[in-house]
Amino acid sequence: MLAFGSIPIGPFRAALLLCLLLALAGCGAGQAPPSHPELPEPALRRLTEAQYINAIEDLFGADLFVPAGIEPDLRVRGLYSVGASLAAISPRGVEGFERASYTVAAQVMEVDRRERVVSCTPDAIVDPDCARAALAPLARRAWRRTVDEDELEQLIELAGASAQALGDFYQGLEFALATVLQYPDFLYRVELGNSVAGDDGTPLFDDFELASRLSFLLWNSIPDEELLDLAERGELSQDLVLDQQLDRMLSSERARKGLRAWFADLLHLADLDELYKDSVTFVHMSDTLGASAREETLLLFEDIVFDQDRDLREILTTRETFLNRELATLYAVQAPVREGFAPYDFGAEGQRRGLLNHASLLTLNSHPASSSPTLRGLFIREVLLCQVMPGAPAGVDTSIPPPSEVARTLRDRVQQHLTDPACGGCHRMMDLLGLGLENFDGIGVYRSQDNGADIDASGEFEETEFANHIEMAELVAQSEDFSDCMTTQVFRAALGQAEEPGQNASLDWLQERFAAHDYRLLPTLKDLLMSPLFRQAGELHPAGPEPVPPEPGIAPAVGLEPQLPGGSR
Amino acid sequence: MSGCSRRVVLRGVLAGASVSLALPALESVLGLSDEALADGTAFPRRFGVFFWGNGTLPHRWTPVGEGLGDEWQLSDQLQPLASIKEHLTVVSGLEVRVPNVIPHFSGAAGFMCGVAPLGEEGDNTVAGPTIDQIIAAELGGETLYRSLEIGGRPGGGGGISYTGPHSVNPAERSPFAFFERLFGVGFTPPGEEAVVDPSLALRRSVLDAVSSRMSALKQRVSQQDRQRLQQHEDGIRDLELRLARMQANPISLASCARPDQPDDDGSFGDDVLLRHQALCDLLAMALACDQTRVFTDVLTKPVSNYLFPGMESGHHRLTHDEPDPQPQVHECVLFCMQQYRYLVEALQAIPEGEGTLLDHCIVLGTSGVSLGRTHALDEFPILYAGSGGGVLKTGMHYRSHTRENASAVLLTCMRSLGMLRSEFGVDDARVTDGLSVLEL
Repeated sequence: MLAFGSIPIGPFRAALLLCLLLALAGCGAGQAPPSHPELPEPALRRLTEAQYINAIEDLFGADLFVPAGIEPDLRVRGLYSVGASLAAISPRGVEGFERASYTVAAQVMEVDRRERVVSCTPDAIVDPDCARAALAPLARRAWRRTVDEDELEQLIELAGASAQALGDFYQGLEFALATVLQYPDFLYRVELGNSVAGDDGTPLFDDFELASRLSFLLWNSIPDEELLDLAERGELSQDLVLDQQLDRMLSSERARKGLRAWFADLLHLADLDELYKDSVTFVHMSDTLGASAREETLLLFEDIVFDQDRDLREILTTRETFLNRELATLYAVQAPVREGFAPYDFGAEGQRRGLLNHASLLTLNSHPASSSPTLRGLFIREVLLCQVMPGAPAGVDTSIPPPSEVARTLRDRVQQHLTDPACGGCHRMMDLLGLGLENFDGIGVYRSQDNGADIDASGEFEETEFANHIEMAELVAQSEDFSDCMTTQVFRAALGQAEEPGQNASLDWLQERFAAHDYRLLPTLKDLLMSPLFRQAGELHPAGPEPVPPEPGIAPAVGLEPQLPGGSR
Repeated sequence: MSGCSRRVVLRGVLAGASVSLALPALESVLGLSDEALADGTAFPRRFGVFFWGNGTLPHRWTPVGEGLGDEWQLSDQLQPLASIKEHLTVVSGLEVRVPNVIPHFSGAAGFMCGVAPLGEEGDNTVAGPTIDQIIAAELGGETLYRSLEIGGRPGGGGGISYTGPHSVNPAERSPFAFFERLFGVGFTPPGEEAVVDPSLALRRSVLDAVSSRMSALKQRVSQQDRQRLQQHEDGIRDLELRLARMQANPISLASCARPDQPDDDGSFGDDVLLRHQALCDLLAMALACDQTRVFTDVLTKPVSNYLFPGMESGHHRLTHDEPDPQPQVHECVLFCMQQYRYLVEALQAIPEGEGTLLDHCIVLGTSGVSLGRTHALDEFPILYAGSGGGVLKTGMHYRSHTRENASAVLLTCMRSLGMLRSEFGVDDARVTDGLSVLEL
């Protein structure tokens, strides 16, 4: 843990040291993955907003209305997929999930939809056999595991009692269905490492857990029947079967959806739904710009990873992209298509290369009425290079002087950041990168001047100077930190945790695999998913039976006493 | 200090009566005020936090003069509060005593929790519950909702209310959804009999089934996950209680009525301030109906870069980049204070007993820093409106000349609400005495 903020020069040294450590971590790994990798204690992962919606669509069909925004995703280490291992469900969330479960159940039991779930014809208002036939497969799919007979009985009973009370078999089923959808086994990924492997007792995720882990990572949703059948027969964990299944999963259309979700999570593209931009400064700003910009980035990602299976690093340097009319206008180029998106090549003379020049990232990493070299540099450092930038020290005057005759461009004005020893350490790392993107304004329009003065987009990256954004992107793309970081980000999403120092050997191995696969994402991912890293579990220390409440009659207010770090006082 | 713990619940007084009179008439006709309102403390006491991001300009924030009534004048930045000055107390010169290592969040979390936040490489979270949840744990048990959270900022994901580390109570940002939640299906205005809805009982049995699975699962997971599931289970228990109460007789506070349904959210567009006002109106009625006694209202979050109307840049950016004397930062603070006044006046607009709903509230206003530019934690912005049922002084400016500990204000608030507390906060932020000067 960095003790940032105490000594002005400290953060910079710490950041440098960290950069150095990350660079050194790249050497000396073998071909085989560590056989007993260090792994975290298994944690429940709350379904993300998107996973919740996808799961319901997979269960009942894509034509249902599923309430959104029930419980906002939590971003930890920059990722929702890591925050999911820490987030709880608030009282408002409980209420929202309850309400949503009935909204969904009622739609499923509508006359024209109910046969998707109920294939039998009930012979009475209460028909346990027909209820069982409907509920058993549904609960298995929703909970991603074998359903105990007790649990099934309880659901059938609930359906029966409800049907009795309301006088209708299908209305009764709604309540059983709502139960299924409010169950913790639906709302969380319960992957505890239930299987014990071999003589050494290493915990493994069992076949059902494995099916879940695979499908949430690759499809961003629940497993399909084929995966569950293989899991039920205990075959999924056989190397040959797993290998075949990975091929099937990765070549399915659903993998595009799943990995788009990973990439969107990585780049914080969800934030494009909530842009506050000054429409006077930015005349091209519109309500649809955020969505268009996100789609451009995800289409390019999909193209490189799936359609072309290319070196992922090219995403920073390619001349190609996908544009619709709105983005073409923003970029001042001929629209390649009237409706929707189409491929576009900026050509050798074009000003745009790769992801860093997309409206998405330029807009997200800017202020409401201006660009921001600092935010852009910070984004590259933290998200694309996995470096840790210490927060700004508190108690420091952080003002930037206004434009003046002597300091018209932002570059001139941020000199303070760069020369003041209290700020310069970190700000040089961020600003000298971000200034490379100054030719793009706060929503990504190309410009050659700022406040009437010519823009100088030169800068510095790891002690190498660059003249403009094109050279800068090349430097970042070629840096080992970037390719290493992409594997680290895959690792974080797959394991639902940020890496620990003890996991360096595992990361080294994965980085080596990435290089061996010419930096192609899909084969690297497959290696990871076949490896013990993904299939073994850390040791679980179960909480065990409930402690006896200290004062009978008073509900324990769990979590309501301040939890003191380090148990002080 | 009244040490008062009488919380008379008025539920059931009107049971069975069919009333469709205009509201002011209701009280007098039914004599409710004679019977239940003679003693002001009979009304539930409410506590709320109004939070805005990025602080103040302290030299323009601190009122001139000290004391009560005419002994002090509102400062530049407090001008929007002129109409509510007599219901307001400004507490200036206090300091939040946690290490100021996470700009904006050390102050926000340090003040609201009395303990420094946890920050792991940029992933900041609180170390314990925020003041609203500490209070809700004691005050929230009798109402439909333990607490309510609203936020004017679209996308109000997150918020400033926490039950524990990483456990955010997300702020409701949609007036439309907030109305549905509070006054939609299942809400029965006073005077009407609750419709017997068979599905309420069935929903409770569903929650029972879910709860029993939660209990089993809790034993198999890690300690940390058990905490998470426990919080989830607490939410289920709240919901079960709510469903049980919906089957019972409706709430009977005189001013409780179903408000007008707000327009759908599209009609607010980007207008965060209008949206916030609609949320405040609904919140006020939720309090009038005793649906909750605790709330947080996050106008803008810490570090908010919201672009207030007419400003050249986002609020956070302005605090750092605008040259002195920061006229636009000043404007932003005025916007925030106007919204605080809106909230307070929404409470004031609802008659309750001899006075208004506001009289039975403490609406604490605060931010995450004092001077945004330096993220300072001295001169911390703290003010409150309402006397909490006649236990706190209002119409006052209290100036601390010794940089007293800001935690003292929260200890005073808790005690004023009838909570028996001997201390609040840990380490340097810990206090064992409140600010008795605030107490009547």
